[in-house]
Amino acid sequence: MVLLYLTYVLLATFFQIPFGIDHMNVAREYLKHSPKDLGVANAVTAIVVNFRGFDTLGEVTVLFLASTGLGAILFRRREIHTMLNPRRTSVVASRIVQVAGKFLFPLIVLLGAYVFIHGHLTPGGGFQGGVIIATGYLFLLLAYRQFAIRHSVVTWVESLAGATFAGLGLTGIILGKQFLQNFLPAGTLNDLLSGGIIPLIYIAVGFKVAAEITGILDTVLSIGVEVNEQTQTQTQKNE
Amino acid sequence: MVAANPIYYIALPLLTAFLLPLFGKLHKELIRIVPGLLFAYLAWMSFVLINQVMTTGQPIVVQIAGWKPPLGINLMFTPFSGFLVAFINILAFLVWLYSYKFKKVEFDNALKYFVLLMLITAGSTGVIVTGDLFNQFVFLEITAISSYSLTAFYRGRDGAEAAFKYLLIGSLASTFVLLGILIIYTQLGTLNMADIARNIDKMPQSLKIAAFLLLFVGFGIEAEMFPMNGWAPDAYSQAPGPIGAVFASMTSKAGLYALLRLSFTIFDFSVASKLLFVMGLLTLIFAEGIALRQERIKRMLAYSSIGQIGLIMIAFSFNTYLGFFAGIFLMLNHALIKSLLFFSASFLVYNSPQKYIRDLNGFGKYMPLTAFLFGLGAFALVGFPPLSGFWSKFYLVTAAADKNMIFLVVVILSVAMVELVYYFRVLHRLYFAEPTGEYEPKRPRWNAALAMILLAVVILAIGIYPDMVTGYIGKAAHAIMDKAGYIQSVLAR
Amino acid sequence: MNRPKLKLRKMNSLEYLKIVLYTTSILLIIIGLYAVVIKRNLIKIVLGLSIVDSGVNLLFILMGYISGGTAPIFSPAVMEKIQAGQSVSMVDPVPQALVLTAIVIGFGVTAVALALVIRLYKHHKTTNIDEIRNLKW
Repeated sequence: MVLLYLTYVLLATFFQIPFGIDHMNVAREYLKHSPKDLGVANAVTAIVVNFRGFDTLGEVTVLFLASTGLGAILFRRREIHTMLNPRRTSVVASRIVQVAGKFLFPLIVLLGAYVFIHGHLTPGGGFQGGVIIATGYLFLLLAYRQFAIRHSVVTWVESLAGATFAGLGLTGIILGKQFLQNFLPAGTLNDLLSGGIIPLIYIAVGFKVAAEITGILDTVLSIGVEVNEQTQTQTQKNE
Repeated sequence: MVAANPIYYIALPLLTAFLLPLFGKLHKELIRIVPGLLFAYLAWMSFVLINQVMTTGQPIVVQIAGWKPPLGINLMFTPFSGFLVAFINILAFLVWLYSYKFKKVEFDNALKYFVLLMLITAGSTGVIVTGDLFNQFVFLEITAISSYSLTAFYRGRDGAEAAFKYLLIGSLASTFVLLGILIIYTQLGTLNMADIARNIDKMPQSLKIAAFLLLFVGFGIEAEMFPMNGWAPDAYSQAPGPIGAVFASMTSKAGLYALLRLSFTIFDFSVASKLLFVMGLLTLIFAEGIALRQERIKRMLAYSSIGQIGLIMIAFSFNTYLGFFAGIFLMLNHALIKSLLFFSASFLVYNSPQKYIRDLNGFGKYMPLTAFLFGLGAFALVGFPPLSGFWSKFYLVTAAADKNMIFLVVVILSVAMVELVYYFRVLHRLYFAEPTGEYEPKRPRWNAALAMILLAVVILAIGIYPDMVTGYIGKAAHAIMDKAGYIQSVLAR
Repeated sequence: MNRPKLKLRKMNSLEYLKIVLYTTSILLIIIGLYAVVIKRNLIKIVLGLSIVDSGVNLLFILMGYISGGTAPIFSPAVMEKIQAGQSVSMVDPVPQALVLTAIVIGFGVTAVALALVIRLYKHHKTTNIDEIRNLKW
């Protein structure tokens, strides 16, 4: 079958790439400059936010696009009060889940905040931390049917956080340097306040990712309600 | 603070797109006005930058985050990429002008529409102006996701289906591109285009071929190359009218640019040109053939657009100065003319639910301006003088004859005949058929009419005085041929 | 294209690891492609896309491994070692950064895909892709 042939071709091609061999080129320079010039301990963070920060800007835009696209495709009408329409899930969550949700939610948010604030010191960063916070919200959304996310808050956080990222980049230009260039002092390595604008950017990214993913989850979960209602009304109308 | 810097092409639309929901909360009309201001500024900046690049002859290299390439990402505003970016952004302004009073959607969706419009422009610009391969992939994804959302914009069910098909094929494309980038990175350790071009010989041959094919197919899908362009007609016909213009002029150009940069600057295969030629020819013949059978006007325009892209690929595959010159001129004309055609066609079939051509009986009387503009666009596309399409076809034929490809000249001329046939069908219905009175014609409002008239004026102007643009195009053609110069301007700083 | 011959006796652990890891990720890609092309249920198709993304990202990360290398973080422990004059080998950080971006992009595409599936379901009341093939040539 075609698939077997394809498998063979892919295997044959990629097996030629040696595994575990050191062929770093640009990466060597990154590892050299990251602790010295930027004061950032986590080299991956330095790459994501500074050396290849432009990619991250694009990535943040993709997330924004996903939530905008979802809004465009699903026509969520204004603020359906899910207080009055508590049919988000078909089964009521058990008492254990509800209590655990209330207890764990602040801990999850704390963990997420820790991850994205310390992105330049430990593994992790804005995206990882934001997703952790979003899972906290997901927990609550699934546990409590009446729990509603106010989309206006989500929109504000999204927009402001995204604007902060782009704004920090443009500030570099205003101060006479290049876009996204670091204009705050690098500080000492492994300090919380090191790395110039890198932790600032990552904090903005963390907020943005958390807000966006929570918004996406909420949009999709509340659409479930609409589909149930609409299938009833549409079999009556003539589509 | 520098007023004209290529980074603004991307940073400003992104900033505005992020802030537009907040502007909307301030005052509803701001949602329609702010993008216009942005596009006007970018259009002005395009003129300034293009003049700068053309007079100094040096490309503008922007080092992002202050790191020199190949350490950092850089933007390359060469005569070639700059020319494309310039007319994309000027066209974006015209698209905004056309859709300014987009009455078909209420407040919430107008917001999404303008956000997506800004982001698709920024995405296409990013693909063209970047000098880093992975960055190109990221911007390609931005463009793609905006396109999916815009295709599904209307409430009908066909939009979602077209968008889903587009999404499936587009994701396949991005997978291929990622795999290609993977191979290149593991062998050369860098992602900067100039650096890759410099070190390309260090790759073993089989891996080089694999990477090239993967990237070629991946970018080719976005550029509507045969045979992976099944998504295109559906997407063009289901998207809102101005978005069809955006697809034709911006996103396909972005994919095409990536293909060209890949074939001529990064890789050094001589077989790349032959591959371009064959694929271009296939694209052209299939697209124009199927366009004949179309009964719906937007699908017809979509297939015509794909055919034009095939023509552009053929032009570039000649690998001579004349070929590049013709190719770039064709790109410019394709963007201008197709935009005009989509703009006018969108009004012509406004009230017809299925957008059939036969619904257009006699509209020439009721909508004289729109019908006339459509006719102008059609004639320009086929290549009648004194419209701009004539010059691009002329240069193409010259380039082909220069390489002694007489059979190709025959093919091009017969394809022009085919185009004439199916466009004339529409014009026949517009002017010579009796109106059935079934559908109400819809007159365009002042802003849409203004946008269309501006396009028509430009097409006419270039047709009468092609020297307006031939200077720019000549420099651009030299730029894309000059691989060593590209590498030097990036790395020798 | 020469496929490296498998010497079953003389392989060291690195070679063995390479075969297993590469094959796994490529199998993931193939399984995902199979789901996209062959399966008829819309949601399974989107799942297939997601699996392909996972496979590609996995392959990408694998390419960054350098044997004997540690995580590319200059923690205090690592800095001590460097100051003591020992050389520290680190894994390539660039594929990790690239995959971070690629995962987020894949998530965005999946979200849009699922939104489209929801809309298609609302209109057609079925998730079978054959019923939905409305637009033809």
